[in-house]
Amino acid sequence: MYLSDLLNAKAILHIAEPLSKEQVYRMLVEKICRHCLNVPICDDALLNKILERDQVSSTAYPTGISIPHIRMENFDDTVVGMAFLEHPLDYEDTQVHWVCLVITDKSSSRLYLNLVAGLLKLSQNTPLLEAMIKTDGPGVVHLLQDLKIHVTKDITVADLMVSSPTTISPGTHLKELGDIICTNSISAVPVTDENGIYLGEVNILGLLKVGVPDYLMMLDDVSFLRSYEPLEKLFEQEDILTVGDIMDSDTTSLKPETSIPEAVFAMIQQRRRFYSVVDEQGKLVGVVTAMDIYRKIIKA
Amino acid sequence: MALMLLALFIFGITYLLIITEWINKMIAAMMGGFAIILTGILTQDIAFRAIDWNVIFFLIGMMLVISVMRQTGVFMYLAIKIAKIAKGRPLPIMVLMYLLTTFISAFMGSVTTIMILVPIVLLVASELKITPVPFITTMIIASNAGGAATMIGDPPNILIGSATDYNFLDFIYNLTPPVLLITITSVGLIWLLYRGKMRVSNENRARLMGYNDKNLIKNKTLLKISLVVLGLMLTAFMLQGVIKIETATIAMTAGLFLLIVSDRHKVEQTLAHDIDWATIFFFMGLFMIVESLVETGFINHIASGVMSLTHGEPKTTSMAILWLSGIFSAVIDNVPFVAAMIPVLERLGVLINNPDAMHPIWWSMALGACLGGNGTMIGASANIVAIGIANRNGFRISFKEYTKIGALFALNAIVVSTLYILIRYY
Repeated sequence: MYLSDLLNAKAILHIAEPLSKEQVYRMLVEKICRHCLNVPICDDALLNKILERDQVSSTAYPTGISIPHIRMENFDDTVVGMAFLEHPLDYEDTQVHWVCLVITDKSSSRLYLNLVAGLLKLSQNTPLLEAMIKTDGPGVVHLLQDLKIHVTKDITVADLMVSSPTTISPGTHLKELGDIICTNSISAVPVTDENGIYLGEVNILGLLKVGVPDYLMMLDDVSFLRSYEPLEKLFEQEDILTVGDIMDSDTTSLKPETSIPEAVFAMIQQRRRFYSVVDEQGKLVGVVTAMDIYRKIIKA
Repeated sequence: MALMLLALFIFGITYLLIITEWINKMIAAMMGGFAIILTGILTQDIAFRAIDWNVIFFLIGMMLVISVMRQTGVFMYLAIKIAKIAKGRPLPIMVLMYLLTTFISAFMGSVTTIMILVPIVLLVASELKITPVPFITTMIIASNAGGAATMIGDPPNILIGSATDYNFLDFIYNLTPPVLLITITSVGLIWLLYRGKMRVSNENRARLMGYNDKNLIKNKTLLKISLVVLGLMLTAFMLQGVIKIETATIAMTAGLFLLIVSDRHKVEQTLAHDIDWATIFFFMGLFMIVESLVETGFINHIASGVMSLTHGEPKTTSMAILWLSGIFSAVIDNVPFVAAMIPVLERLGVLINNPDAMHPIWWSMALGACLGGNGTMIGASANIVAIGIANRNGFRISFKEYTKIGALFALNAIVVSTLYILIRYY
């Protein structure tokens, strides 16, 4: 099955005027409901569902595409509406130029995932995007027909990861690491050298471990300790020790082409919620968390 | 003859690997064991039959008992209680820890005792802001001495107990008195060496006194059950002559029973981590290798050699065995040493042909092997484990630093043993 087969040229909009997210969704819903007669819920009911879904988690991806998505009982079909926006919408700091509304059956999650993968891949293709913006609805369908994009292609870590994440160098003092962890509310940071080569990872537990010597970890029980000086004096170490002293250079990383099942498997098996994504040259290209996968794939 | 040389060659290589730990001890012993079969020195059948299953299952049973005892929190409780009873004063803590380590090692083995108690001593020393090194050193010494006191303490005694007809009570009757004497002289040495050397502030002592030991006993019911089971197990060991049940069966019965009544969520953890499978397989390989020396007649040669040197005179033989075991155990792990020496003594028993004359010789080897292990930091497993823990926590104990103290205590122990053997048996 090709991506172009799922499109209806009449549900592809080119919007020149600045509109709100809700207005864009409303226009898409209207088009879809008018031209795809078998959609069980329509108009305001459908719009509300989409907006509710948007509240749960962001549907935007770093490449500037947003893929809001609704699953319906007994729909037994998949329709896609598209809107190309001259004035981008702001999705929590991500600028979106292209909204793809997908309505599908509750059971067809695989098709949906492939659809998302196809759309994400397209969103990275700037010349194609420009061509699609310039043409009209049937033109878009035509362009995509020529590309013969299979919706059988699998989604990978590269499609979900946060590219250009916060990184830290091994020479940084722990104090600065603490600041980065606190201000960004992240529990782990990849460590890279000056060329962006991945060296390892530091996380909040490693930082706390500075105040907990090895022998304490060997005890069966520490309930008798009401206070513990080394832990309380952790901050004194923060100006002396560096990231290189506490980083874990043994951690496994994922590749950009790692499949989603493989990433989920790794996360569950190794009980880690955070992975650095490293390319073949050893360069850090992004980070992916269990939450990313859950929000963007499962919950989507 | 060619087979004997080949066996000796494999034995030599394996022991070299075990002593140097160039590769994992267990892998070295297993490789040696199967090399014996591959080269046709022993058939697989004979090699497998050489494994002393009484020792293997005894070890597994005891590991199960210890694992469950540990879950109760009783060892942590005792150690913390001791620091509080000593009111945070370093020398009393050191002496009491020495005594506790001796006592626990006599029943739980030296390595386990060290793994439980050394981290606590590191914590105590860090709270008192004094170096933990003297504490660790004296606890290593205590653990090896304590293990010498009973049949179920140190691995050399376990091996000897299984290979001979001596039962639990024989060990207590013959080995506990010298260990008590050694404990008294060692505490005296500690007092001489460390008196007035360690100063702590009142504030740091107060921190230690503030430890809340109320919640350390995790499971009172399990503790009661394990103490009853432990008591029954020891009683069974003592009554072995009457009830005619082998040590392995007694230990496995106790271990399996405790495993069943313990927290079922921890069973997997116990089986996977608390049973030291590497040690178990190390012993199996060792039995196979030693058997090759017995079968090819090498052990007979050695025994005849000892006979011609000592003329079968029991007193001289005892002294030779005691000091030889002491010196050898100080530089190599005492387990492979005793494993190889047992058939030598068995053969010697045949040559001397007087069972009564053999008793002091066996006890001499037990004392020499267990106590000599204190001589250097590689003399026994407990030493290596304790020094490893210290190193990982930033306290480097050098070979020289350890040997200065260890050799002194080992010498004290062997001299006391010499006097004991001479006075008691001759």
